[in-house]
Amino acid sequence: MLTALILVPIIGAILIGFLPTPEGSNLPRKAALAIAIGLFFYSFWLLTQLDLSQSGVQFTEYLTWAKPIGLNYTLGVDGLALPLVVLNGLLTWVAIYSTREKIHRPRLYYSLVLLVNAGVTGAFVAQNLLLFILFYELELIPVYFLIAIWGGAKSQYAATKFLLYTAVSGILILAAFLGIAWLCGASSFDLATISTEDLSQKSQLILLSLLLVGFGIKIPLVPLHTWQPDAYVESAPSVAILLGGILAKLGVYGLLRFGLELFPETWHLVSPGLAITGSVTVIYGALSAIAQKDIKRMVAYSSIGHMGYILVAAAASTELSVLGGVAQAISHGLILALLFELVGIVEDKVGTRELDVLNGLMNPVRGLPLVSALLITAGMASAGIPGLVGFAAEFLVFQGSFSIFPICTLLCIFASGLTAVYFVILLNRTCFGKLDNKLAYYPRVVRSEQIPALVLTAIIMVLGIHPTWLVRWIEPTTDAIAQSFHKPKIVAISQPNLIASFGSDLDR
Amino acid sequence: MDVANLASQLNAGTILPEGIVIVTLIAVLVVDLIAGRSSSRWTPYIAIAGLLAAVVALTYQWDSTNPIAFLGAFDSDALSLVFRGIIALSTAVTILMSVRYIEQSGTALAEFLSILLSATLGAMFLSGANELVMIFVSLETLSISSYLLTGYMKRDPRSNEAALKYLLIGAASSAVFLYGVSLLYGLSGGETQLDKIAAGIASGDTTQTLGLAIALVFTITGIAFKISAVPFHQWTPDVYEGSPTPVVAFLSVGSKAAGFALAIRLLVTAFDLVSEQWHFVFAALAILSMVLGNVVALAQTSMKRMLAYSSIAQAGFVIIGLLADSNAGYSSMIFYLLVYLFMNLGGFTCVILFSLRTGTDQISEYAGLYQKDPLLTLGLSICLLSLGGIPPLAGFFGKIYLFWAGWQAELYVLVLLGLVTSVVSIYYYIRVVKMMVVKEPHEMSETVKNYPEIRWNLEGMRPLQVGLVLSVIVTSLAGILSNPLFTIANDSVVRSAILQSSLSPSQPVASAIQPLSPSDLDR
Repeated sequence: MLTALILVPIIGAILIGFLPTPEGSNLPRKAALAIAIGLFFYSFWLLTQLDLSQSGVQFTEYLTWAKPIGLNYTLGVDGLALPLVVLNGLLTWVAIYSTREKIHRPRLYYSLVLLVNAGVTGAFVAQNLLLFILFYELELIPVYFLIAIWGGAKSQYAATKFLLYTAVSGILILAAFLGIAWLCGASSFDLATISTEDLSQKSQLILLSLLLVGFGIKIPLVPLHTWQPDAYVESAPSVAILLGGILAKLGVYGLLRFGLELFPETWHLVSPGLAITGSVTVIYGALSAIAQKDIKRMVAYSSIGHMGYILVAAAASTELSVLGGVAQAISHGLILALLFELVGIVEDKVGTRELDVLNGLMNPVRGLPLVSALLITAGMASAGIPGLVGFAAEFLVFQGSFSIFPICTLLCIFASGLTAVYFVILLNRTCFGKLDNKLAYYPRVVRSEQIPALVLTAIIMVLGIHPTWLVRWIEPTTDAIAQSFHKPKIVAISQPNLIASFGSDLDR
Repeated sequence: MDVANLASQLNAGTILPEGIVIVTLIAVLVVDLIAGRSSSRWTPYIAIAGLLAAVVALTYQWDSTNPIAFLGAFDSDALSLVFRGIIALSTAVTILMSVRYIEQSGTALAEFLSILLSATLGAMFLSGANELVMIFVSLETLSISSYLLTGYMKRDPRSNEAALKYLLIGAASSAVFLYGVSLLYGLSGGETQLDKIAAGIASGDTTQTLGLAIALVFTITGIAFKISAVPFHQWTPDVYEGSPTPVVAFLSVGSKAAGFALAIRLLVTAFDLVSEQWHFVFAALAILSMVLGNVVALAQTSMKRMLAYSSIAQAGFVIIGLLADSNAGYSSMIFYLLVYLFMNLGGFTCVILFSLRTGTDQISEYAGLYQKDPLLTLGLSICLLSLGGIPPLAGFFGKIYLFWAGWQAELYVLVLLGLVTSVVSIYYYIRVVKMMVVKEPHEMSETVKNYPEIRWNLEGMRPLQVGLVLSVIVTSLAGILSNPLFTIANDSVVRSAILQSSLSPSQPVASAIQPLSPSDLDR
């Protein structure tokens, strides 16, 4: 069943890439859209079929592949992977839909997007370390092309930077995986057969550090982040959606699955450092975002900040914080996609991303009123205003982490206030103020351009009002992950009595 | 000794594949003599058919229980079978790409083919040679044919320069190799057969370790020259740049594979006693090759020079498998060479195609090629990315297998260095791909703007197209469907007696030899 999630986009990519279509035909786009929508609904259907009473991997598939190197085709999903797969399907659809219809070299573009989708899904569902690496590196070249060919002026520089950083992250992870399998004496790289319990602490620490740096590049964490603003800003909005919304989640997923789950004991040793790195990342992202003059760059830095929360949550690794971390990963994916989508529309229509030039887009007659309204919603969601999904996720993170790392959590809460600062700057300059009547002859925003943004906004609002629909899929798995730690039991907290337990946590 | 006994000792059936190649060689010459200039329509296909028949003959020997032939001079075990197969296949693919190239240069095709076939013959014999004289004769057959091939473009001064350089350095390295071999002969008390040499040295005077070390270093010089490992690589870039491209393709795959076959056989049997020493020397060669090959390749502007440095680096990767000294290590080497054959030859086919159509091989001239020649762009991209180890192409699986085998043998430094340098290699491979795919029409190079119309029906273009498509398909699928190749590689290692006896020290043959401890050698 999971194979279809990987094979369909690959076959689609090959067909779109190689079958000749008449010049100017819209066929590649339609085919890619149909595939993406199909993948999204199929993965959503799988999500509804997920057995929430158990935490292990489900829908497993197994085929021996290359025995001498221990590479098996082992697939499976749990509450950590499947929601991310669904997010991948959704954002691929958004990315394809929000691509301009007159894009050049459409066949290559759409087949690369589908290849990225296949690679990311494969990495999420792989239950074999080498298979994960295979898919993790599979998306490398397609993303490189997506940034370089359809990006902005400096896109080739940004793409090469992305390529080198990601390749380094790939080999660090590969080195760690080789080390894990060899030192554990595992006969294959299957996740199920690997247990690091017997390793000495020193080797565990070395392997875990390799993984942390490897996935830290992908997330990205300060100080490994320098590729990220360039890559996000220089790529086309649709590619930025894929990069920030989905590819960064590979890092989070890898950190939880291979860092936290494989090295529960050593995780205690590194978690204070991780929490500090996480809060530094959060504050750095927020402060850098305040300083930006380019709205896309501002969004890129805000993304760095928001990924830092997840690291703090993972470091604390209580049941609640891990749950919050995964929820934050998904809400960040949704919100960032919405922001990039809207920024892309603004740039497309107004022709600039400069904060100093933009003004008064809220103007109901000659501005972009609906886009501005959605931008305000997205800004609020990102800043963590209650009622939107960002709040629910951040709240879980803060509450779950506070008992373990109070100072880091407080720093994060403080930085979340800074988030509000830069979004106020952004919204104030962009949406409010007086529109210059002499310059404001913007093209109309047509309905089809608004649809992805509207869909994303709807999801953000619904999940914000009713977070259970988000966390119920994740909770069994993250609970199991957190429980595998031998630390003083944190009382299991279920969704309804959140506020009460928050109070009691503070009392302690 | 009666005739029947002698015939069974000669066991001449084992060299049937080489016999087929010799017959093919003669057939090519005779057809050329009879048919004259028009023979070029037939000779390449005769040669390819002969080589493929040789490969078929090799597969029939797979289950042979008596591989030793010619009174021990030739060992046709599974290991040699695989290497001979790699060499014959690489020549076949090389011929596919050379037809048009030679036609266009206006030189005689049949002569080229017969020299190429004799080089192949030398390389095939070298893969199974088990005796010093045999090794040297086949090595020289390969080398001298290679010198002739590099200088085949008589009117091109660069080709002449390459041939002269190759000849001078090659002759020097042969001489050094021969000197090392003569030391071995003396130290072992007059033995020429590899397994007897080891026994002879062990039973002889153990104070002669300095001599043995010198013999080791000298023979390694000869081998390292063939596989172009740093620091014996200086000839590579110049020869690659100046020689006819099909010859370069053969040198980078067939000749290299023969070098590795020689390395395995010589080191594992004759130098079993100084195993630690040769491991040390080869580790140094691997480190230098990986670092220097990959780093210098970054700075190249000529495609052929870049591929020269890339082939140096690839040799460094393959040495990791040799050093692992385990079943997995040797079979990962063989697996990597098998996939390297197709990805490297595919790359060279594309380079030839481009230079045939445009007359240049500067990397910057590839800019914007996707507009004019999508097939060439796709083929070259796939082959280069596979060389860089990008999944799901064959090179990725080959590299993982090498690194995994190296890691199991606890060669941590080498594997980590291999990983790091493969990131460097991705950078220079992707640079070419970027030129072709990313550059927009307005950034197109002059050469590509004037790109000729693609015509496959010119004489000699069909084989080129077949070679290109074949290599690209194998490169794309050999990784995903890698099990048969893994099985071949692994079987050949498990079935060859020399590797198994050196890998399991409990064997009676090995225990009879008193191994030298490192402290003995320090004296």
